[in-house]
Amino acid sequence: MKKQRVIPVLFLRNGFLVQSKQFKRYQNLGNPVTAVKRLSEWGSDELVYLDISRDDTYDMRRDDLGHANRSSVLDIIEDVSKHAFMPITVGGRIRTMRDIEQRLALGADKISINTQALDQPGFITEAAREFGAQCVVVSIDVRLEEDGVHRVRRDGNREATEWTAVEWAKRVEALGAGEILLNSIDRDGMKTGYDLPLLDAVSSAVRIPVIGCGGVGEWEHLAEGLRQTRVDAVAAGNIFHYSDQSVFLARKHLYGAGLNVRSPELLDI
Amino acid sequence: MNYRRMQYCARCTYPFVTVNLAIDDEGVCASCRTAEEFDKLTPEFWAHRRAVFEKNVEAMRKDRRSDYDCIIPVSGGKDSYFQTHIMVKEYGLKPLLVTYHGNNYLPEGNYNRDRMREVFDCDHLVMGPSVEVLKKLNRLCFRKMGDMNWHAHCGIFTFPIQMAVKFDINLMVWGEIAWDISGMYEPDDFVEFSARVRHEHGLRGFEWYDMLNDPQEPLKENDLLWAKYPSDDQILKTGVRGLYIGNFFKWDPYKHTQLMKDLYGWKESERPFDRTYRRASNLDDRYENGIHDLLKFVKFGYGRGSDHSSKDVRTGYMTREEAIEMVRKYDHVVSDDLYYWLDYVNMTEEEFWRTADRFRDPRVWWIENGKWYKDNIWGDSSAYGEVHLSLEEQKRYQRG
Repeated sequence: MKKQRVIPVLFLRNGFLVQSKQFKRYQNLGNPVTAVKRLSEWGSDELVYLDISRDDTYDMRRDDLGHANRSSVLDIIEDVSKHAFMPITVGGRIRTMRDIEQRLALGADKISINTQALDQPGFITEAAREFGAQCVVVSIDVRLEEDGVHRVRRDGNREATEWTAVEWAKRVEALGAGEILLNSIDRDGMKTGYDLPLLDAVSSAVRIPVIGCGGVGEWEHLAEGLRQTRVDAVAAGNIFHYSDQSVFLARKHLYGAGLNVRSPELLDI
Repeated sequence: MNYRRMQYCARCTYPFVTVNLAIDDEGVCASCRTAEEFDKLTPEFWAHRRAVFEKNVEAMRKDRRSDYDCIIPVSGGKDSYFQTHIMVKEYGLKPLLVTYHGNNYLPEGNYNRDRMREVFDCDHLVMGPSVEVLKKLNRLCFRKMGDMNWHAHCGIFTFPIQMAVKFDINLMVWGEIAWDISGMYEPDDFVEFSARVRHEHGLRGFEWYDMLNDPQEPLKENDLLWAKYPSDDQILKTGVRGLYIGNFFKWDPYKHTQLMKDLYGWKESERPFDRTYRRASNLDDRYENGIHDLLKFVKFGYGRGSDHSSKDVRTGYMTREEAIEMVRKYDHVVSDDLYYWLDYVNMTEEEFWRTADRFRDPRVWWIENGKWYKDNIWGDSSAYGEVHLSLEEQKRYQRG
């Protein structure tokens, strides 16, 4: 049986690696590439690398460091893929076929689209036809509204859409998406665990793999996601930056709990 | 290059260029936001945190294989005393105190460090690299990254975990959570010591091997054994984790200083520092409040006056107006340890300024009439000394 994946998600914002809290509070953690090297050394199954910058400025504002201060997202992606020995999905600010092509050429294995898919749903089909469905991930940002409905939001939570999470997920599947990255806005950075009903509803409604994300505050939350929903992969952002050997510790927890993940004993100890 | 005017936090005195600092849509810096999070915390919260800490320490002790309960990295400063006080006096544990000695101690710092064995009844391991190696590293890192103190950041963040691995001790107890400086993390993040933070923020992205093969300052691998970080395998074998006590105990440097003076006769600096009004910080390293910090001003246009006063605004010891006065008074001062250091490493003052000027950040500095200019927090811009660069090198700094 196919192993379930554990996937760190990294957020790039104007040149810095950041942690994100509820899509509104960002804290600069540092260099956009160093963390990739560590996550790779600990044997992450995959990596999702999202550019959440609001404009085209990429600047760490330091020129006295041992790391190059890159000023374009493509340079950063190139650095990332040099350090990543696992498949990487690159997303954020992708609008054209050319954008996809450039990222794949720099070493991305898959790309993730969000706003462009909502603006122009045919873009999903076009991208899947050109590059293969396996490399087209559609990222969906969802908020639990006061009326109890999970609605899709756009532009980094700045605007509403008329889509419910399940309807939009089915639609992107029909359009040819190969995989869904499902983010929960209200759980983002809250450490209270996944929005399990959301993950379960979406992963039950589609046949393509769903990656659940948003809200992990302890390794047990990853286990809950795998046990209580039908997602293929559990993802998290911030928590992987809080301690050393984090991916190893996460997988050790899941493996020890009898879940179907790769053995943590990649490190020969 | 984007020449917008310097932007400062609306609440404290931190400029936008501050390392890693994010300023939000309301003009408030991440550091002040983090402080806000800490301010909300009640005594009940801290009581609960203490219980979490005790549970953590208990769990680590169950798994321990060493006769020492933990390692405490200490410099001999007020925070080291506080950490050791908690572990020894409050919990009755047996720590191994570990110190990196970079050969920069002030006399009071020496006194405080050496008394720890006495007042806490502890074993204390002090590691001092060869002075010749240190002098080479001082010069090399000054030229390479505009920081003669790289060896100190490296030693402080490397030697304790080396010893943890060597003695098979599974717990390190660090002190203050340094990210209140940039607001990188929050109390709920429960951040632990990590190789990434050490490498990026402690060591500026340089490692021991970056120091080899310099024609001017020849260094060999075995000169730098104390600088090598253990492998993930070694760390996992020992199971060592580094907890920050600042995540579990309310951190108030002024209260701690007073407490350590009262309980243990801890001494602050007898003479005031040239570049800050505080007397209880950085006694383990004469340059941290001196020319190491002056170089921060040279690079980014702010220094200890901004650092200390910003913290004091956040903890309510100072108003923003008072803090701005501290910035005006201290940030730019060329401290007299410069001459001490030039003598130590045998360098001329001319070479010092020529090298330092190469690190000026064009986001902050420009050249007018042969002088360095920058924006000030009190609203105007003013000159800060002569330029020591060639005409070619000066081109980056012309604004017109």
